[in-house]
Amino acid sequence: MKKSFEVRLHGRGGQGGVTCAKILAAVYAHLGHSVQTFGDYASERSGAPVRAYTRVGNEPITNRNKVYEPDEVLVLDDSLLGADTLDGLVDGGALLVNSPLSIEVFDQKYSTSTAPFTTGVIDATAIARKHGIGTRSVVIVNTTIAGAYARIHDVPLEALKQTYTDLGLISNFPAALEAYESVEYRGPVDGAHVEKHMATQVTLPEVEQIIDHVSSSGTGLATGSWSSQKPSYVENLAPCNAWCPAGNDVVGFIGALETSEQAAAEILGQSTPLAAVCGRVCPAPCMEACNRAEYDGAVNIRGLERWIADTIPVAVKKVARVSNAKRIAIIGGGPAGLAAAYEIAKAGHAASIYEGEKELGGVLRTGIPVYRLARPALDQEIENILALGVEAHCDEFLTANRMAEIEAEYDAVIIASGLQKLRGLEVDGAQLAGIEQGIQYLHRVNLPEDGKSPVESAAIQGHVVVLGGGNTAMDCARSALRAGANKVTVAYRRSFDEMPAIKEEIEEAGREGIVFAMLRQPVGFSGTDNLSGVVLAEVDLGEPDDSGRRRPITSTRTAVMDCDAVLLALGQTEDYGLLPEGWELPWGSERRVTAGNRGEILVFGAGDIATGEGTVTHAIGSGRRAAGLALAALSAVDVNDVPLDETHIFQRPDRTTAIPVTDIRLDHFARAQADTEQTIDPMQAVKNFNQVNNGLRSKQELHRCFSCGHCTECDTCLVYCPEGIIRRLTDEGTPYEVDYSYCKGCGICVEECPRSAMEMSS
Amino acid sequence: MSNLNPKANLQFISANHAAAMAATLAGRANRNARGFGGGIYPITPQTECIEYLSKQDIEKGSVVRVESEHSAMGVCIGMALSGARTFTASSSNGLSYMAENVFAAGFYRLPMVMMAVNRTMGPPWNIWVDHGDTLMLRDSGWIQMYCEDNQEVLDSILFAYRLAETANILLPAMVCQDAFVLSHTMMMTDIPSQEQVDEYLPDLNLPHRVADRAVTVGGLDFPHETEAHRHQHHDAMMRVFDVYKDCQVEFKKVFGREIPDPVVGYKTEDAEVLLVSMGTVASTARAAVDSLRDQGIKAGSVRLRLFRPFPHLLLEKMLASAERIAFIDRNVSPGMGGIMWSEGRVTAPKDALVQNYMIGLGGGDIRPEMLEKVFADLLSREQAGPPQIVEVGA
Repeated sequence: MKKSFEVRLHGRGGQGGVTCAKILAAVYAHLGHSVQTFGDYASERSGAPVRAYTRVGNEPITNRNKVYEPDEVLVLDDSLLGADTLDGLVDGGALLVNSPLSIEVFDQKYSTSTAPFTTGVIDATAIARKHGIGTRSVVIVNTTIAGAYARIHDVPLEALKQTYTDLGLISNFPAALEAYESVEYRGPVDGAHVEKHMATQVTLPEVEQIIDHVSSSGTGLATGSWSSQKPSYVENLAPCNAWCPAGNDVVGFIGALETSEQAAAEILGQSTPLAAVCGRVCPAPCMEACNRAEYDGAVNIRGLERWIADTIPVAVKKVARVSNAKRIAIIGGGPAGLAAAYEIAKAGHAASIYEGEKELGGVLRTGIPVYRLARPALDQEIENILALGVEAHCDEFLTANRMAEIEAEYDAVIIASGLQKLRGLEVDGAQLAGIEQGIQYLHRVNLPEDGKSPVESAAIQGHVVVLGGGNTAMDCARSALRAGANKVTVAYRRSFDEMPAIKEEIEEAGREGIVFAMLRQPVGFSGTDNLSGVVLAEVDLGEPDDSGRRRPITSTRTAVMDCDAVLLALGQTEDYGLLPEGWELPWGSERRVTAGNRGEILVFGAGDIATGEGTVTHAIGSGRRAAGLALAALSAVDVNDVPLDETHIFQRPDRTTAIPVTDIRLDHFARAQADTEQTIDPMQAVKNFNQVNNGLRSKQELHRCFSCGHCTECDTCLVYCPEGIIRRLTDEGTPYEVDYSYCKGCGICVEECPRSAMEMSS
Repeated sequence: MSNLNPKANLQFISANHAAAMAATLAGRANRNARGFGGGIYPITPQTECIEYLSKQDIEKGSVVRVESEHSAMGVCIGMALSGARTFTASSSNGLSYMAENVFAAGFYRLPMVMMAVNRTMGPPWNIWVDHGDTLMLRDSGWIQMYCEDNQEVLDSILFAYRLAETANILLPAMVCQDAFVLSHTMMMTDIPSQEQVDEYLPDLNLPHRVADRAVTVGGLDFPHETEAHRHQHHDAMMRVFDVYKDCQVEFKKVFGREIPDPVVGYKTEDAEVLLVSMGTVASTARAAVDSLRDQGIKAGSVRLRLFRPFPHLLLEKMLASAERIAFIDRNVSPGMGGIMWSEGRVTAPKDALVQNYMIGLGGGDIRPEMLEKVFADLLSREQAGPPQIVEVGA
């Protein structure tokens, strides 16, 4: 090693320049040299230009001056490059700069291509950011650039690693290693000389009496040049928005509700025509994802959605037909079909729904009992959709031939016929009287014959056993209890944790007195002509299956449970019977149907028949997407050329990008209990089919929303800015402006933003 | 690392950190007596020191965080009076706020140690080095030492305890170091073991402690009593020169390192032209001396390490052969000039030309080239002029 040498570091307050100089000194100390390191202190404020120094020698170091003729210069922020930074750098020395530029571009920009010193360039900021070094608001590059230094100056990696360990920085070593491997550099050009403007020699004052005191130069400094990063306002993804399968802007409608129900309804109407429905029966994945859940309970989003839709219809009122309106047929009037029709009508095209039942609604009408979903709410929302000019052809179950005719007649077709095939149970006694499919039973409950009440239509006596664990099972069990059963037992082959039914439904069923027999597999029925009991085998749970749930293993331990009726709620599957010969409906997405040698035709699947996701809200999202794809295909020059990710087609957001609760400044929020809906006492509720849940008493729950990732103009940034350079604007859309000519990039506004609606960027 | 003991326990730390380690070791060494304590209050550039100290676990020790420097010294006085080994640290305007109690600690003859980081007095605010803050307290009855490097800061604190606690001294001691140039500069520092420090610092036995019996301190002194007290105090100060030597010998024996003399010379034997300075300026002066010697000029440098008591005789001996002497003050007493010059000029040979330069005020970086210019100015003079403030720029 050279006998002795001096290093000068140029950085900005907050980048860790002093620590970087310390790392270099510590490495050389580890290698057995005398070392000294110190920083310039004063303007330690974030972003201010700062210097730090390291001296290395083989003899004890006594010089305590600053470094004026450095052998090595490190620049942590390329905006600091200039005469000051290169001042005194000796010929044959080395310059290492943190810059996103390639070395070729760097040389060109800073005229270093013929410099008499080694030049190295490393994008330490990008590497440090990638490795998450620093805080959310400020990236710290010191430990990264030291890796690049080690490469250029032949510092053994082992020594560097040991130093990081000694200094407690070992978690930053991978970033240093990446910099070590990726730094670009080249040696000095012999005999070349750096331009004079780059190296200005400071002349010391003469020894003489000071006559007039030197006046200090006014700063006139626009300190914005200090910043290596700037804050800005951004719209980040809230977990509720990320998790809503229908694509509702939850943060948006709750924010707007503060102003009025009208404003909130307008936002909801962008994504769903069925807010009153979802406000009653949605399993609300948004509430499970809500960042408030871990703090003091999720915001009652479902309740707020219902509040809005029960106050004012959310569907858009009137849309003019576009001049070249397309005609699209929709097969099935359930939630997927209704959402698709709404989306098409909203875009100014013509939608016609084909429904087998007498009225639209699908499972909302035939499956979900009225005590959960009051029919006036459903009827109103369907009416709103039809008011946009959507045609309804009801009371005709389609055949494959009829489907082929429809396909020929319309520009495009969306098949949203749901899951029509019912799973049975092939065991001894399955033919006995008293065993009925749950779906058929619910049909009787929900669509009573003329003149009959639901209780009359669905009358059932004695002990009713429901087999299954989904929402159909819950609906059957609770309906049976209301229709005359004196005891209802739900038998399910797995445990509570694995039940696919909505959690609140299971809880309500329990409160109403329904008995649960978990880990029981029906293996037969007893009785001669009429059912007298169900044979249940005990189930053991084995290894997890593909769905992650533990696989049920039926044992030989059986017992007969006496009963008077059994309702089968074992699930439904796709019925492709209405597809003409040769048609194939892709599974798992809303892609186009293939029809033999015609290839892909303009027929799309939507809802459960395409995706099998099984909830109303998933069906709405799927219907929206199928409609978007159909419209995109129809407006494209080449239908095969429509990318699936076209931005105007609804897509579920990337949930991994949602704001985690750790990015919310909980200190800014007082704890408050969630507001709950008014419900009827379970003992009263089971006496009839009246609506159990009567909604929120007020909209005050909206104040509990964190508004994750969405600026609410709370002024926290403005209040916390130490420079006072965040100002309120009156223009719509941009609530604040940051005066970047004075912003030092300290990141406090970003750090303090209660809801992560700001970010720092280079 | 040729100058260091191969068995050394070297750590790469700042002088602030080194001072805190010394205080910790000294504090633990009194665990079999009446323990250790102090009141602390932060001020740049001393903060790192008390931060480190307050994190230490010291058996029979209590470091109290208070609301001001005045109270910090108040806590020290109380603890010291009860017989504890005591430490605090401050700087600049913190020292001026503490001043009333600094005098009290001196006049109560309490052998505590304070680490002072020399920082320019404000306003306007300036955080960099200038010796004016501790020199303001030169008459408070404290011993004052000014250090030149990191190791010397650590060693001087241990040394100061030994000196201050000696039975015929019993005076508080201030160990001074230059802001940032030492306080925040990291260098390899040899940290002694607890056993070594235990050996060097016997249990503190304060004869007038209040712990065992009622003692009135700070009552009314009539003129004649004050005369007697001042006389005793001054005598104790003047005994420091002898005790200093004993403590040096013991230090070498226990730690294997030298404690520098009260006055440290460099190439003074045949020097015709001398620079006298305090603190880290002496390092820079030596570089300038080497440069002048290369040009054939008989230059030398003197560092005043002990400022109270003022080592007149030692300095006189060091300056004996000089024809031209520059007192390099990093302070100014407005209306007088450099404080070291005003006190030390009487030790110069009768015929010598003595010039005062006040340089690096407010922390300007004094480069060797600047001191070479001072030498040149000194050599070019026909006679001494009034004290002169010299500009060094940034």
